[in-house]
Amino acid sequence: MHELSIAQEIYRTSRAAVAGHGAGRLETVKVAVGELSAVEPDLLVFAWQALTQGGPDAESELKVEWRPARQFCAGCNADKPRSPGSWLRLCPQCGMALAVSGGDELDVLQVTFLPDEAAGEGGVADG
Amino acid sequence: MAEVVDVRAKVLAANEEAAARLRGTFRTSGALVLNLISSPGSGKTTLLETTVKALAGRLRLAGIEGDVATERDADRLRAMGIPAVQILTGGACHLDARQVRKAIDEAAFPAFDVLFIENVGNLICPTSYDLGEDFKVALLSVTEGDDKPFKYPAIFSRAEVTVITKADLLPHVAFDMDAVRGQLATLAPSGAVLVTSAKTGEGIAEWCALLERRLAAKREAGA
Repeated sequence: MHELSIAQEIYRTSRAAVAGHGAGRLETVKVAVGELSAVEPDLLVFAWQALTQGGPDAESELKVEWRPARQFCAGCNADKPRSPGSWLRLCPQCGMALAVSGGDELDVLQVTFLPDEAAGEGGVADG
Repeated sequence: MAEVVDVRAKVLAANEEAAARLRGTFRTSGALVLNLISSPGSGKTTLLETTVKALAGRLRLAGIEGDVATERDADRLRAMGIPAVQILTGGACHLDARQVRKAIDEAAFPAFDVLFIENVGNLICPTSYDLGEDFKVALLSVTEGDDKPFKYPAIFSRAEVTVITKADLLPHVAFDMDAVRGQLATLAPSGAVLVTSAKTGEGIAEWCALLERRLAAKREAGA
């Protein structure tokens, strides 16, 4: 269970990315999680909620894009579908040995940030 | 109005930078570094004890031991006559590169040819963290069952070498070696598989030869 450490790194990266945008709060953080990244998406979202709870970003949402690994068959020149969490050793169509590739993504893709209204472009100074 | 900021950054960038610095340190010193990952009790420390004995006088070895608690594993390596340091994670399920850097700096090991980093016993979390190693080694004992590579694909797809341990127990357990080899061929087509027993010595010479070969290749590439 290392999803909390991963969530902390995502939070740190997201905050660093908006550091130049003034005060405000995170709205959404989009991440890519690969099937072979050893990270479980639901646990990551729970960890995010626990981490942001009670702080300025408590309303933020962590959106996980799942990136499955591929099982490509050179004989058929096509990716072979399989049921989630299972692997094929041989191509069901042509019998060629299949390898697993990709699915190791663990990236922060995009952050949407809501600047505080007082810091908005209106520039109305406090009386 | 919300502002959209494109980030495109690796989540573990901070760890990966620390790992890259460690890799630079080990390139300069010409040491081969292994990250050993397996479930608890598969025989990581026993493999290392056996390796120390088999390589006695041929290579200078050192060890970093990761555990939740106790100095037991580092004590076992020191008892074999090699320098070793224990990292206690206090509950954390993996080692990260910054912990290894700190351990290296504090340990002030005498010069070594091969450094073994024995990760916390866990087939999942250690997979995500680069420790600056040359390659990962996954261990699988025959008592754990022959379905493990497909059940834990992340580690077995990243390990360049898989060491099957406790092969002396094969007559007593249902362990289909061909099935395991088939799963490993799917997950890591270019990986090596070694069948070993610390008790009988089976496969230990091949394991030591692999270490010597990889060390020589690294030094040749760096020369």
